[in-house]
Amino acid sequence: GKKNYKADGHPSGGVGVPGGGAVGGGGGGAVKTRKPDNTAFKQQRLPAWQPILTAGTVLPAFFIIGLIFIPIGIGIFVTSNNIREYEIDYTGTEPSSPCNKCLNVSWDSTPPCTCTINFTLEHSFESNVFMYYGLSNFYQNHRRYVKSRDDSQLNGDNSSLLNPSKECEPYRTNEDKPIAPCGAIANSMFNDTLELYRIDNDTRTPITLIKKGIAWWTDKNVKFRNPTGDGNNLTALFQGTTKPVNWPKPVYMLDSEPDNNGFINEDFIVWMRTAALPTFRKLYRLIERKNNLQPTLQAGKYSLDIAYNYPVHSFDGRKRMILSTISWMGGKNPFLGIAYITVGSICFFLGVVLLIIHHKYGNRNTSADIPN
Amino acid sequence: REPPPGAEAYIPQRFPDNRIVSSKVPIFSFIHLDKSAEVILCLIIDTPTSPVTSGLPLLFVITVTAIKQGYEDWLRHKADNAINHCPVHFIQHGKLVRKQSRKLRVGDIVMVKEDEKFPCDLIFLSSSRGDGTCFVTTTSLDGESSQKTYYAVQDTKAFHNEQEIDALHATIECEQPQPDLYKIKEMTEYNTLVNCALLNLLRCAIFSKTSCLISGVAIYTGMETKMALNYQSKSQKRSAVEKSMNVFLVVYLCILVSKALINTILKYVWQSEPFRDEPWYNQKTEPERKRNLFLQAFTDFLAFMVLFNYIIPVSMYVTVEMQKFLGSYFITWDEEMFDEDTGEGPLVNTSDLNEELGQIEYVFTDKTGTLTENNMEFVECCIEGHVYVPDVICNGQVLHDGTGIDMIDSSPGGSGKEREELFFRALCLCHTVQVKDDDSVDGLKKNDFSRKSCIYISSSPDEVALVEGIQRLGYTYLRLKDNHMEILNRENNIEKFELLEVLSFDSVRRRMSVIVKSSTGDIFLFCKGADSSIFPRVKEGKIDQVRARVERNAVEGLRTLCVAYKKLTAEEYSNVQKLLQSAKLALQDRDKKLAEVYEKIETDFILLGATAVEDRLQEKAADTIEALQKAGIKVWVLTGDKMETAAATCYACKLFRRNTQLLELTTKKIEEQSLHDVLFDLRKTVLRDNGSLTRDTFSGLSTDMQDYGLIIDGAALSLIMKTRQDGSSSNYRDRFLEICRNCSAVLCCRMAPLQKAQIVKLIKLSKEHPITLAIGDGANDVSMILEAHVGIGVIGKEGRQAARNSDYAIPKFKHLKKMLLVHGHFYYVRISELVQYFFYKNVCFIFPQFLYQFFCGFSQQTLYDTAYLTLYNICFTSLPILLYSLMEQHISAETLKREPSLYRDVAKNALLRWRVFIYWTFLGVFDAVVFFFGAYLLLDNTVVTSNGQVITPYNIFFFQLALDTHYWTWINHFVIWGSLLFYIVFSLLWGGIIWPFLNYQRMYYVFMQMLSSGPAWLGIILLITVSLLPDVLKKVLCRQLWPTATERIQTKHQCLSVEQSTIFMLSQTSSSLSF
Repeated sequence: GKKNYKADGHPSGGVGVPGGGAVGGGGGGAVKTRKPDNTAFKQQRLPAWQPILTAGTVLPAFFIIGLIFIPIGIGIFVTSNNIREYEIDYTGTEPSSPCNKCLNVSWDSTPPCTCTINFTLEHSFESNVFMYYGLSNFYQNHRRYVKSRDDSQLNGDNSSLLNPSKECEPYRTNEDKPIAPCGAIANSMFNDTLELYRIDNDTRTPITLIKKGIAWWTDKNVKFRNPTGDGNNLTALFQGTTKPVNWPKPVYMLDSEPDNNGFINEDFIVWMRTAALPTFRKLYRLIERKNNLQPTLQAGKYSLDIAYNYPVHSFDGRKRMILSTISWMGGKNPFLGIAYITVGSICFFLGVVLLIIHHKYGNRNTSADIPN
Repeated sequence: REPPPGAEAYIPQRFPDNRIVSSKVPIFSFIHLDKSAEVILCLIIDTPTSPVTSGLPLLFVITVTAIKQGYEDWLRHKADNAINHCPVHFIQHGKLVRKQSRKLRVGDIVMVKEDEKFPCDLIFLSSSRGDGTCFVTTTSLDGESSQKTYYAVQDTKAFHNEQEIDALHATIECEQPQPDLYKIKEMTEYNTLVNCALLNLLRCAIFSKTSCLISGVAIYTGMETKMALNYQSKSQKRSAVEKSMNVFLVVYLCILVSKALINTILKYVWQSEPFRDEPWYNQKTEPERKRNLFLQAFTDFLAFMVLFNYIIPVSMYVTVEMQKFLGSYFITWDEEMFDEDTGEGPLVNTSDLNEELGQIEYVFTDKTGTLTENNMEFVECCIEGHVYVPDVICNGQVLHDGTGIDMIDSSPGGSGKEREELFFRALCLCHTVQVKDDDSVDGLKKNDFSRKSCIYISSSPDEVALVEGIQRLGYTYLRLKDNHMEILNRENNIEKFELLEVLSFDSVRRRMSVIVKSSTGDIFLFCKGADSSIFPRVKEGKIDQVRARVERNAVEGLRTLCVAYKKLTAEEYSNVQKLLQSAKLALQDRDKKLAEVYEKIETDFILLGATAVEDRLQEKAADTIEALQKAGIKVWVLTGDKMETAAATCYACKLFRRNTQLLELTTKKIEEQSLHDVLFDLRKTVLRDNGSLTRDTFSGLSTDMQDYGLIIDGAALSLIMKTRQDGSSSNYRDRFLEICRNCSAVLCCRMAPLQKAQIVKLIKLSKEHPITLAIGDGANDVSMILEAHVGIGVIGKEGRQAARNSDYAIPKFKHLKKMLLVHGHFYYVRISELVQYFFYKNVCFIFPQFLYQFFCGFSQQTLYDTAYLTLYNICFTSLPILLYSLMEQHISAETLKREPSLYRDVAKNALLRWRVFIYWTFLGVFDAVVFFFGAYLLLDNTVVTSNGQVITPYNIFFFQLALDTHYWTWINHFVIWGSLLFYIVFSLLWGGIIWPFLNYQRMYYVFMQMLSSGPAWLGIILLITVSLLPDVLKKVLCRQLWPTATERIQTKHQCLSVEQSTIFMLSQTSSSLSF
């Protein structure tokens, strides 16, 4: 019963309205005040532009969209095709796979199970190459998983460091010590080590993999911070905390370089940005082009050395290594180009259909009598 | 003020103080319950959204509602306070004391000066005028501008000073307060029983006009005054749009529940594999593991409900309410609906029904005062068959002065002369007209009554016309003084008649009488009334001649009254007096008893003659009715007038045309045949023709088609309605309805007020449930105004009662055209678009969420960030649609007025049919699927992280709205692009800063990363194009192949300005590109 009101703004002989009391031409003064203003807004006569969608007006738009989209689509498609991408599944579910022996590896197996996969690149990779690892069937977007982190701890807040958020349960404490970094996401950090070698006449030349610059600048410099305190000794700063259960080493021993250690380790930051879909890839390393004369990765034989630590078989997961160059539009994505071409063609086709309809029925309608 | 001695069973009654409280506490309706429940759920169970996310929109909704209601309340408070604090003079302990009005108590004695308002209902004790009378105006109560005379209670009217009045010791016995303004039944006990009638009761809010002091005792105060009781809100009316809105809401609720159910079931199916339920990387906590499975499932179900609840557009109710409230101002602001003559504009008493004005199928209109001017002109009188015309107006000049009488027939003989004089005296005496008592004029020429100087005032314009007409025939009514009526006869002599009784007019009896005593001591009863109520009571007189003349006049559309008299002997009179006295003093059923007594008294008349008064048609009445009929609205005229007069009016206002075949369902006909046969015959006539013709020519109003007009009178109607008990009754009613449906116009004459309402109800409850509108100006129309879906009052001459009880009030009947065809049409289009859009936008928003559950292990993970969930409905999307729903004009107002047939395009709730609703829902689902899978495929391996997809679905709403807007004013531009800009700025801010109050920073820099990536832009453009494509295509194809009348007109206008639209499309694409 909320819809019960009188428009009291307009006196209607309601409570104590004196107007019109006099006999005869009473309320003469009230006439002026009650007369509504003749403004364009109040009379609903604001100048306006009144577009109407008709075949005649939409036709050119369809043709224009068609003409614009098809070239764009072709452009994108060509660009995407020029992007080199190579993908290896190293899960090892097939018995023939070299990594099959590591399939049932557990977290704490020492020394780590290693395997090597050889592969051949048919085409050379000209520009900078991005090396990704990909996981399938890994629900990084599960609600329980997504919220199991403490952003203020990761931001270097000292109180959160020792008293992590409840959201981190059951990865909040271990043996009565707070876990740093806490939560399921950090605990399950990807810890396979991938190394790439070029095989040239049976000699293995390691390829330099750059581990910095893979995270967003803002994440590395603003969002993630190590705890602050006296000195720069991370070991001391993380005093009183314990490592995540599944990690072999504590967080302050992730890397030897101080600006890539602790919470600001880039591998860690990349992992902490959770993926939206259960199949995802994350940037692992960069391979920079050395000089202008040689491509970054020549066509030829390569081998991938894997320190297989990350178990995925238990949940039917897959692990991949992807090598890819990028262009102005990012990684390889043939779909975008195809979609543009398709939509452009549909628009063009519809334009033609509309043209026919317009010519066949158009005259009938414009001449048709409008009932008075 | 004290209990009477000896009254043992006296129960002290609590009387309220004189505070008027019309404000009320805001009450929140059920729709908020949904949200409140959600907030509570969020607090008790583990839900995907935080309590803040769910609570904020609720808080917003409540705040807006509260502000709106608070504002209205504040206005009422202000008005209340003004009244409650105005000073009042009391008499206390023999002294005059000034106090605030709200301190007044029942039993206090109040003094009121000239031009003061009575603070509460008072019993008039005395006035400083010697004769114990006072004059008041009741304009603010019932709109009647005449001055009324009230009389002090006989026993107290001699009191003059405060001491005397203070010494008064009396008990007043009165009934419990009741709202009827014109009914009062109470008695005063003061030594002896004293009759205290209506005329002693001075009601709150009326103005004193007497130049003297009035004292009175308060009997009803505060909320018990007649005035306050009349404020009580009427029964709620709900519009058809609101009903369909609620139905859609139920559908969405079902969708919501089924979605949650599906997801819950799938979740448990999916989770049956333990590695999915609890993979090593995502372990449950101990308490979670131990939880009972069914409890867990139920919690999951609730969590899904919370997640998907955004599909129920909570903010829609607020927006709709705002739209209605603000939109109603456009009606009051409309200059064209302002009447210069009366200085009145349209009034909106409720804004709930704006859109209902665009859905009207039946209009029930009153005749007098609504279709006609109610500006009466005396045309002629007929005395015993001789016709008298007062003066012939020719070229605007009065040829004959008042004294001359044209005798069309032969001059009357000797006895005729006597009857003639009696007739004129009867007309001079039998009325309730008052003479405006102008003191200054009175003082100057006390004995020199100029014939033209008198101004007559009466609540009935017929009476004024009659008295004025008689004045031109030589008899002038001068005044009522000391219960003596003075008339100036043709010889310029003043005749005095003592007024003994007035048997006042009522619409059931349809007559009034006075009993007067001439100076010679003869007692006459003069009666005037409708012919049907006079003729049966006449025992002698030239009935046939008079009847012939009356019928002739009635055909010409004149209002006729018959005049009759009877002479009473002193003995008879004392009988009459006794009867009246006992009836008047009755505490219960006084009205009924009075009516019985009147019935007894008003018999055995001698017929004198008849009068004819012309009531001109209102300006543009015919034009309006024609437009309404073209708009597919059936117009029924319901009048208390007689058949011939009413039919003539109907012809004049083109309700009936020359080729209309009239079907009569009248008492006369029923007397000849049985009701059953009449109905059967009529039905046969109507259906024979219509079966072959009407069905297929519905859209156009073809002139060659035979149309029927039905005339039914009150008696016949009551026969149809009455036989309720036996089974055949509903049969009659159905048959009657069937006949009515096939008639283009229906005239119901001789209707009592209640019958009018009955007719409206009959149509309202018939099986198509048409939307009805009743329009009228008088108190007799109130019942039908209240009964109809929309009640419109004409602010007319018969007082303000109709306007007060109506939903909308307009100054003239002609304004109905703009009200329905323009405002109604606009409001309907606006609100239906608003409702559909709201459902669309929420489906579009939340359906991806549903799809996402399939990709996140049914874990209730939200696709959007909390901030977007919270603000989506409140900030990002509500303003453009609100503005759209206020400003949209799909076609210009002039065109709508010129082409009434466009009204048919929106008839029968056309824009909210299931087809349209399903279309919008599917459009929403389509867009959601396009966006979800588009983002899934296009943005797959780039920067998408969880919550990364916020930007894409969002933009579409603006473009969809932009597509539907036909009327782009700068305000629309500003709001649509402004909201988009706000969204972008908000996103930049939200993602650009680490907000210290948040315990997660998931959105940090996501938006910027998104904007900086090329494919994201390309993807957004593509997705927007794809999602707009089907709607554009559908619109264009429908317009091209199956255009509605509206669209044809739009196209026609379009031909004149083709260039404009190409610009639109270009800018449409360019704006797509830029966002």
